[in-house]
Amino acid sequence: MTKERIQALLESAFPDAAELRVIDRGGDDHFEVRVTAPAFNGLSPVAAHKLIYAALDEPWADGSIHELRINTKGTTT
Amino acid sequence: MTYSERIQEIIDGADVALFMKGTPEAIMCGNSERALGALRRARAPITAVDVLVDMEIREDLSAISGWPTIPQVFIKGELVGGADIVEDLERSGELEKTLLERLGDDYWSTRAESVVTVAEEGARR
Repeated sequence: MTKERIQALLESAFPDAAELRVIDRGGDDHFEVRVTAPAFNGLSPVAAHKLIYAALDEPWADGSIHELRINTKGTTT
Repeated sequence: MTYSERIQEIIDGADVALFMKGTPEAIMCGNSERALGALRRARAPITAVDVLVDMEIREDLSAISGWPTIPQVFIKGELVGGADIVEDLERSGELEKTLLERLGDDYWSTRAESVVTVAEEGARR
């Protein structure tokens, strides 16, 4: 199932995440991810989301993800 | 002029460029609608571009921006983000602040919404 795959990919990309949630928004190809991790500290939203896209490159490329809402936070501020 | 050159020209030339699915008159995607709505509420002078005209436009745009999804919003040549980020920025007040900083205090006075196309004037891949 794609949700578990996304979860696993994000966990390996952000092993020190304080929060990491994958929410199925329907159809097993619409998802929302919420990640709070030190990797996002000091990054612009664009740069932070690009890290998420990079981590999920595979499921994007093979069409497993059709739509993704992204919410990223750093661990400072 | 290739698609890539035309896309770059639009990004560089528009105060606010919105690459979307469909046009503001005929929106073809909920996320494009979300980005358009946030920009309109912030009274941004939007230059809209329909990426559905040709699949190659979308591929060339993502190659330029490093951003895989549509919509994409650029302010003064810089990628600001997609629908999630633009809505977040609207909520926090950052969107208006960014527009003020980059476009000037009276940016909304030129609030003209326009639609331009990538595939015009013999533009090709």
